[in-house]
Amino acid sequence: MSIEIHNEFGQIDISNDVIAQIAGGAAVECYGIVGMASKHQIRDGLTDILRKENFTKGVLVRQEGEDLHIDMYIIVSYGTKISEIAYQVQSTVKYTVNKTLGMSVKSVNIFVQGVRVMNV
Amino acid sequence: MKSLGGMKFAEMVQMGAHHLYQNAAYVDSLNVFPVPDGDTGTNMNLSMTSGAKETEVQAQEHIGKTAQGLAKGLLMGARGNSGVILSQLFRGFGKAIEKEAEIDAIGFADAFQAGVDTAYKAVMKPVEGTILTVAREAAAKAVEVAQDEDDIIVVMEALVAEAKASLARTPEQLPVLKEVGVVDSGGQGLLFVYEGFLASLKGEPLPQKNESSLDDLINAEHHRVQDFMNTEDIEFGYCTEIMVRFESDKEPFDEEQFRQELNPMGDSLLVISDDEIAKVHIHSETPGAVLAAGQKYGSLIKIKVDNMREQHSAIVGEAPVATVPKVEKHPYAVVTIAMGEGVANLLRSIGASYVIEGGQTMNPSTEDIVKAVKEIGAERVVILPNNKNIIMAAEQAVELLDIEAAVVPTKTIPQGMAAILAFNPEVSVEENQASMVDSFAHVKTGQVTFAVRDTSIDGVEIRKDEFMALAEGKIILSTPTMMEAAQTVATSLVDEDAEIVTVIYGEDATADEATQLAAFIEENYPDAEVEVVEGKQALYPFILSVE
Repeated sequence: MSIEIHNEFGQIDISNDVIAQIAGGAAVECYGIVGMASKHQIRDGLTDILRKENFTKGVLVRQEGEDLHIDMYIIVSYGTKISEIAYQVQSTVKYTVNKTLGMSVKSVNIFVQGVRVMNV
Repeated sequence: MKSLGGMKFAEMVQMGAHHLYQNAAYVDSLNVFPVPDGDTGTNMNLSMTSGAKETEVQAQEHIGKTAQGLAKGLLMGARGNSGVILSQLFRGFGKAIEKEAEIDAIGFADAFQAGVDTAYKAVMKPVEGTILTVAREAAAKAVEVAQDEDDIIVVMEALVAEAKASLARTPEQLPVLKEVGVVDSGGQGLLFVYEGFLASLKGEPLPQKNESSLDDLINAEHHRVQDFMNTEDIEFGYCTEIMVRFESDKEPFDEEQFRQELNPMGDSLLVISDDEIAKVHIHSETPGAVLAAGQKYGSLIKIKVDNMREQHSAIVGEAPVATVPKVEKHPYAVVTIAMGEGVANLLRSIGASYVIEGGQTMNPSTEDIVKAVKEIGAERVVILPNNKNIIMAAEQAVELLDIEAAVVPTKTIPQGMAAILAFNPEVSVEENQASMVDSFAHVKTGQVTFAVRDTSIDGVEIRKDEFMALAEGKIILSTPTMMEAAQTVATSLVDEDAEIVTVIYGEDATADEATQLAAFIEENYPDAEVEVVEGKQALYPFILSVE
């Protein structure tokens, strides 16, 4: 699974994992997100926060023609405004992927898989 | 002040919110991280306004309950990254003192510290050099000072001073800030809130923005412009900065009026002024006009003009970013091909959705056409090649596109113009194709071009560098003088029935020559209406369209 970019010199293949790493890395730097979650929580063990090497389980990249679609499964911090945090993740991921890969992201879909209560 | 109650705290919040509101636009303009979209100030202001409203509703002598009101209002109204962080800071602050009716200096400082702890818990990878850093360092300072100081005002003063110093250090911690040459926008917003708190505690007026901030504004503005632009998209090419020292014998200076005056001259306009001096920054295509505008009020004590197109190609050359210029979407589109910017503009002005700049020497490929159609998001499309050598490519593009598409085989620009004018967005692609083909049947095309070698075509002797007159694609004359060739084309095509003649003159003909040709046609054919258009096309000094 990879994304292809064609230019006058030939072809560039970027593996989905790379895009998932970039998108996941951008997301976990967003404020209010405590981790990436797995898409298949039951299969992969419940609401475990994914480590960096497993971001691909919580980030799905699809290419439809020229367009890139990214689905992200996240866990947020309790007591924050979740809608706002999801929006921030969308905008940061879109911007970062565009900046680093030069590809435009058509959609970033956020699935909030859990809320973590911090011991305040 | 030894202790702080709810009513006073509510006043502080109002003042903090007001100070942020007044400076929201400035905070917006600093915003380059994490996404340079220039909304940090707007978002923080909306969040803080919501917090201040709720504080007002819940204000009472009991500071714990008042602070709860602030936390709730901020949470409900949180907007953007910075707004969410602000809500967390005061959520922790409120939680720490929820049971207190009033607090002393130590409780006050500890509450700020608790806010910082809460805010840090909600982030996996805190980025330093942001609002979080400013909040943390300021709170730590307050806690330190409160150990041997029981005056709340002194503690707040120390907190604000540290926040200021911390903000000034943000460029050292976050590379993008240093690169752009600004301080962090969220941190600046938080400082405004804290400054408002302090002013309220001391009963003093709010501090004024300092003048050196214009440099930050300019830096952030440039960063945003670069980020989303291609060199060829720069509309206003000169970054112009002037400083005017007012003089009594010149016009009295009014900042707002001066802005109005400069606004039409370009974009990225920034003006700040005091009683003696105005500083101006603008991106303009006419730097001279900007200088002249400033001179009306006094003498120019500093002038700087940079050509941004030159700088930009250098900068972007190093940046591995492919930005895509914004293209309007057209569900039902007319895509056409033109040579020359003027012709392209002409075709756009009469209704072409998208013009591919190709032409005689660099004909667009099938792929170029497919890409253009996809780029504008067309669901139905009519393609006009305007050149017999591109018709094939256009036909193949139709094969490749999985949408309703048709080619109207126009061979010349005038035919293309007639076809575009016949386009009806209300009917199907097939119907349009039929009516557009009919529409250019009665359009006659004349061209004047140069011969590239000695030859003989259609029985006409041609020498290299002579001007060839072509009527409907057939050579009728070859002559050393351009105007003679043009007039010959005109006489062979224009007749008593001709209603409209359009003269499109190219790179190799002047406006004067085009006007001469138009005058010649009007003289000989008084019934025809003649229009002159600058087409800027290469190779063809003149293209004539006769209907």
